[in-house]
Amino acid sequence: MIFEKRTERIIVPIFFILALFVPLFLDANSFFVGKVSTIIIMSIFVMSLDFLVGRVGLITLGHALFYGLGGYLFVILSPEYEVVNFWVYTFYICIISALIALVIGVVILRTTGIYFIMITLAISQMAFYYFFDSLKYGGDDGLYIYMTPETSIFGLSFLNLDDPQHFYYLALFSLFNTLVFFKVVLRSRFGRIVEATKQNPDRTEALGYNIFAFRLTCYVIGSTLGAYAGFLFALQYGFVNPSFLAWEMSGTALVMSILGGLGTIYGAILGTFTYEGLQYFFEHLTEEWLLFMGSAIILMVILLRKGIAGYLEKLLEK
Amino acid sequence: MLFAGGQGGLLSLFILYCGEVSLGYFMTAELIIVQVLNGIQYGLLLFLIASGLTLVLGVMGILNLAHGSMYMVGAYLMWYFVTVTGSFTVSAALSATIALSLGILIERVLIQRFYNRNHLDQVLVTIGMILVFNSLQSILFGNDPYGVPVPDALDGGIPLTNNSTYAVYRIFVAVICVGIAGLLYFVIGRTRLGMMIRAGKSNREMVEALGVNIKSLYTIVFAFGVMLAAIAGIIASPISSIVPGMGESVLITCFVVVVIGGMGSIKGAFIAALLVGLISTFFSILMPSMANMIIYIFMILVLLIKPQGLFAK
Repeated sequence: MIFEKRTERIIVPIFFILALFVPLFLDANSFFVGKVSTIIIMSIFVMSLDFLVGRVGLITLGHALFYGLGGYLFVILSPEYEVVNFWVYTFYICIISALIALVIGVVILRTTGIYFIMITLAISQMAFYYFFDSLKYGGDDGLYIYMTPETSIFGLSFLNLDDPQHFYYLALFSLFNTLVFFKVVLRSRFGRIVEATKQNPDRTEALGYNIFAFRLTCYVIGSTLGAYAGFLFALQYGFVNPSFLAWEMSGTALVMSILGGLGTIYGAILGTFTYEGLQYFFEHLTEEWLLFMGSAIILMVILLRKGIAGYLEKLLEK
Repeated sequence: MLFAGGQGGLLSLFILYCGEVSLGYFMTAELIIVQVLNGIQYGLLLFLIASGLTLVLGVMGILNLAHGSMYMVGAYLMWYFVTVTGSFTVSAALSATIALSLGILIERVLIQRFYNRNHLDQVLVTIGMILVFNSLQSILFGNDPYGVPVPDALDGGIPLTNNSTYAVYRIFVAVICVGIAGLLYFVIGRTRLGMMIRAGKSNREMVEALGVNIKSLYTIVFAFGVMLAAIAGIIASPISSIVPGMGESVLITCFVVVVIGGMGSIKGAFIAALLVGLISTFFSILMPSMANMIIYIFMILVLLIKPQGLFAK
C-alpha cells in the first residue's frame, strides 16, 4: 500500500470519489466546474512544492517560476494559428522545463538555508521581469492562446479541452497521477535516501550518497510538475501573463502547502481547497476579505502547527 | 492576485527617478552626474529600509516579509497627517512614533512566538501580516494614489549647469539617510546597547545568562527596524507616489540588498544598497529592458562568488 497512514487511506478516496461525481450533478458550463478545475490544478502545483519543501527540504520562494514557464513555453513553442496535440506539447514542455530546472538547480543548490530561499526568489523575480519588460512576449499583458490543443492519441480522441467537464476530468486525472507518482517515488529506495538527505545530510553523505545529485533530481522533478500545472492553468484560461511567475504566487502556494500539512503530499489538496474555499467565502462575505484572509493565515500558523493533515492525523491515528 | 497592486510599484518608482533627468539627456556628463546623484539617493533610501531588515534577520533570525508593509505604513501615515495638520515636521514625528509603537505591538503580540520556529512559519505569518496591512490600508485610506507636497523650506533646486537643477529635497533625503546610517553605525559599534545586540546575534543563551533581558532587547531591535522602514516611507513620500502595493515592490529589492551585503551587517547593507541603487538607476537609462532584472543577476553573481554575501562575518 502506497498510502501509509490511516488518515490518507480515508481522506484520499473520499476526496477522489467526491471529486469524480460532483460535476455530474452540475451544469457542465457552470462557474463551479471551472473554479474547481482551477483549484485542482493549483493542488498539483502546491503538491509539487510540498514535495520540494516538505520532503526534500528545499525551501523555495521561487516555485512560481515554473508555473509561469509552463504557460509561456506552450505559447512560445506552439504555432499561433494551428491546433497542436496536447500530449506532444505536454512532453515538450516537461522536457524543456526539466532542462531549465537542471541548469538552475546546478547553480542554486550550491547555497543552503536562507540564501537558498533568497536565490530562488531572485531567479523567479528575474524571470518575472524578463517577461514583464519584454515586448516580444507581450509585456505585462502577457500572451493569449488562440487555439485549444486537441488530445488524440493515435487518431483516437476522447477529450475535448474546450468542454469544461472534460477539462475538469483531465485536471483531476493529472492530480491523481501526481499524488500516486509522489507516493511511489517517496516509498522507493530513491525516496528513502531523499528522506535521509533531509534528516541528516552529513550522515547520508558519509554513507556514500551524492546528496547534491539527489537534491538536483528532486528539484527537477518538482519543477517539471509545477510547469505542467502552469501549462494546464494557462490552457484553462487561454492566456499567460507575468503574474503567473510573481513571487506572490510562490508565497501563496507555500501558504497552501503549509496550511495543508507540510510534507504530507496529500495535505496539498486539503490546503489548496481550504485556502481557496476560505478566500471564496470571505470574498462573498465582504469587500475587505483580505483582512480576514490574512488574519486566518496568522491564526492558523499559531494554532495548527502541523497543518490540517496534522490535525486530522491526530484525530484519526491511534 | 491576492496582493493588491503588485509589481507595478517598483516600475513607477523607476519612472519617477528617470523623469527627473529627462532634461539632461542632451549632455552626457551632466546625465552621468544626475544619474550618480539619483542612484546614490535611491540607494540610501534602500539602505534605510534594508537596515531594519538586516538587523531583524541577522540578530533575531526572523525572516520578515512584512517589512515592506512598514515602509507603506510610514508613507500612508505621512500622507494622512500632512493632509490633517499641514505640517511636514509634525507629521513626520507623529508617523515615526506611531510606527515605533506598532513595531513594539507586533513584536509583543506576534513575532515573539516565532523565534523558535523555522523560517517557513515566519514566512507564512509575515505573509498573513502583509495581507492584513494591505487590507487595512485600503479600508483606512482607500486605493487612490496619493502624493505629499515637498515642504516649502526644501522646495527648490541647486543649479548643476546652465539648464538643469537638482532638487534640494533629494539632497535632504540623502543627508537624512547618511545621518541615520552614521547613527546606526555608532549605536551598534560603540554603545552598550549595540554591544548587547552584537552579542545577542552570536550567542543568545550566553547573553541571557549574563543577565541581559534578551526579550526586551529583541523588542527594541524589531521596533526600531520597523521605525527605520517607516522613516524611509515618510521621507520618500514627497518624491514617490503613495500607492497600494508599494511595500511589496520595495521589499524584494531590500532583500536583495540584505543578501548581497551579508545578513546582519549594517556596513554590508550600506554598500550593497548604494551598489543596487547605482546599478538599477544606470540600467534604467542604458538598457531599460534589463533595468528590473539586473539587480537579481547581480545578486546571483555575488552569491556564486561569495555565498554568504559581501560582508558576512
